[in-house]
Amino acid sequence: MPDITKPILEVKNLRTSFFTDDGEVKAVRDVSFDLYEGETLGIVGESGCGKSVTVMSILGLVQRLGKITGGQVLFRGKDLTKIPADELRHVRGRDIAMIFQDPLSSLNPVLSVGYQIDEAMYAHDVIKHDDIRARGVDLLEEVRVPDASRRIKDYPHQFSGGMRQRAMIAMGLSNKPKVLIADEPTTALDVTVQAQILELLRDLNQNTGTSIILITHNLGVVAGLCQRVIVMYAGEIVEEGTAEQIFENPQHPYTWSLLRSMPRVDTSRRERLKSIEGLPPDLIAPPPGCKFNPRCPFRIEQCFSDDPTLETVGDDDRHIAKCWVRMKRAYAEMGAATLTDTRPGAASGVRPPKTLVEKLEDSREIEPDTEAVGDLRGS
Amino acid sequence: MLTRGTLIYIGQRLLLIAFTVLAVSFAVFAALHSLPGNPFVNEKLHGAELAAQMHLYGLDLPIPIQYWNWLKGAIHGDFGVSLAILNEPISPIVFREFSVSLMLGGAALLITLGLGTVLGVIAAARQNTWVDYTLTTFAVIGYSVPSFVLASVFILVFGVWLFNVTHGAFYYPLNWTGTYGTIEELSIPAIALGLYTSGQVTRITRAAMLDVIQQDYIRTARAKGLRQRIVILRHAFRNALIPVVSIAGPLIITIIVGSVVIENLFGIPGLGKEFVESILRHDYNIAIAVFTLYAALIGVANLLVDIAYAAIDPRIRY
Ligand SMILES: Nc1ncnc2c1ncn2[C@@H]1O[C@H](COP(=O)(O)OP(=O)(O)OP(=O)(O)O)[C@@H](O)[C@H]1O
Ligand code: SF4
Ligand SMILES: [Mg+2]
Repeated sequence: MPDITKPILEVKNLRTSFFTDDGEVKAVRDVSFDLYEGETLGIVGESGCGKSVTVMSILGLVQRLGKITGGQVLFRGKDLTKIPADELRHVRGRDIAMIFQDPLSSLNPVLSVGYQIDEAMYAHDVIKHDDIRARGVDLLEEVRVPDASRRIKDYPHQFSGGMRQRAMIAMGLSNKPKVLIADEPTTALDVTVQAQILELLRDLNQNTGTSIILITHNLGVVAGLCQRVIVMYAGEIVEEGTAEQIFENPQHPYTWSLLRSMPRVDTSRRERLKSIEGLPPDLIAPPPGCKFNPRCPFRIEQCFSDDPTLETVGDDDRHIAKCWVRMKRAYAEMGAATLTDTRPGAASGVRPPKTLVEKLEDSREIEPDTEAVGDLRGS
Repeated sequence: MLTRGTLIYIGQRLLLIAFTVLAVSFAVFAALHSLPGNPFVNEKLHGAELAAQMHLYGLDLPIPIQYWNWLKGAIHGDFGVSLAILNEPISPIVFREFSVSLMLGGAALLITLGLGTVLGVIAAARQNTWVDYTLTTFAVIGYSVPSFVLASVFILVFGVWLFNVTHGAFYYPLNWTGTYGTIEELSIPAIALGLYTSGQVTRITRAAMLDVIQQDYIRTARAKGLRQRIVILRHAFRNALIPVVSIAGPLIITIIVGSVVIENLFGIPGLGKEFVESILRHDYNIAIAVFTLYAALIGVANLLVDIAYAAIDPRIRY
């Protein structure tokens, strides 16, 4: 059981931007969260909402145009954004390990799998050098690569996708890290292999007490594995709570929409294809007010001018959401329970203020979200 | 790893090289023997005397027969006798010259790959800094200036202008010292020959490194906590070498062609110098031997490149 009194990793007001030719892409905007010992924390959100950049920032892995512009990442009392490069290098792979979305491209094609696993151990002084070779085979067996002692000499191209992800996990676990960050570890894999990999992560968490941050846009995965969930939108946390709170009592309209768009085995095929209308905002110049307002069925006037902050929802202080309305009110006043039309403003009947619509119509540079805007002008 | 399949592949390639060399030698043999003029023009022989000389060397026989006679010797490494230097056996001469050219070309190849990859890696690691701009400019100059121009400049600067400073170490009268020259004498021609190709290698290495360091496996390597130096050299550089090796074949041919000019400019007693001189002398037998050796050299070099390719990239298996 996770010990919720001891945060092992504290992210405080993290900001990360990419300084591109078009302007500053604020990919992570003031994100704070704690990771507790032994817990599995899920981070969900649509593509491009800043999940990867958040966790890459933790280990200082954003590169080139990317830069952490503010905040702290506290691990064992040290701010990882401030410590010298050599100290940070020893946190990477030793204390906090990371595995990535695409196991096909995440292993070096010219080095053998065994070499790449051993190398992770030689880089740090956790495992005695004499034991490294044997441990490499043990690790591969542990992640259930068949015939490990022979396959360890293979090159990545001789491994299947699932086996490569297993090898990545073995590499991640090699130094017995305190934290394992898994960034969409199963997205590139087929369904049965996905289940096996997730099973592996669950066992790992239960048997060794390793804390896990699991990034995914598949809520089903989160439901099966995570004790707590963070929902991100446009570079911000919009809701956070225990898995139960998020799944049973979502308060942010975005979370609610994500859950609605989740494929269910018992629904008809047509309904399953539902997804949230519109696209996430431009992270260089997002809309004023709440960034979800162009897509939110429950928006009110205030949403177009003022940006809400994360507040506790009420059931207990672990559950927080960033919304003026919240689903409690949406259920009570806007008929959210029976809502079939989820187009922007559909439930509340609120349209963007006149000035904003005109601005969209006048400006040819800002390509308006045709579906959403068309809808507003039509009705 | 040398598997049975690899050995069979190498055997097949060697067979192919043998056929190519045979075809080249025959084509050159036929072509040279059909040229107007004869090896004895300088001796001003006419009529019956000339015919007697031609008969002595077997030059009056039909070309296929002459070729057959030549081939019987060549297979045993005997390329016959010189037609210009009376009865001098050719093989010792050309094999000695071959070793000289191999030394020069090898030095140039070392400069090409060594300098080229090192500068390419440095330029990529310092992308968009003055170091990068300087190296990139050097590379562009390197591969825009033909080696013979560079060679002439070097001779002028080191051999003539700096004659007193260098105590004539870089002075190339008509030949260099002895068969293999001195280190100083070798260095200037080798640089002139290798700088052009090293510019190309710099450019390709830089581009490949910049591409490679954006790959996911580099992120993995950094996330493992490897030292930056190891990430660059072990993970990035090995992958960046793949495109470099893929142009190594053409680079080697460029160096071989360039060596003909360089050897003649610097008076280096190698195959390239002999190549030109033997043709001017109508010394067919030497010219044919030289051509044959070049064909074999190119074939073997390309085979070595392909083996290196497989050694670097485990996805390539023959
Ligand atoms: N190298 C980069 N240069 C410019 N912008 C970038 C760069 N990397 C990421 N971004 C921006 O940061 C935002 C967040 O990206 P991130 O990769 O964190 O999304 P994500 O939530 O992980 O999405 P996905 O589910 O697709 O992996 C994106 O909208 C993208 O525009
Ligand atoms: S109701 Fe308003 S504040 Fe809440 S998500 Fe919708 S637009 Fe944002
Ligand atoms: Mg991502």
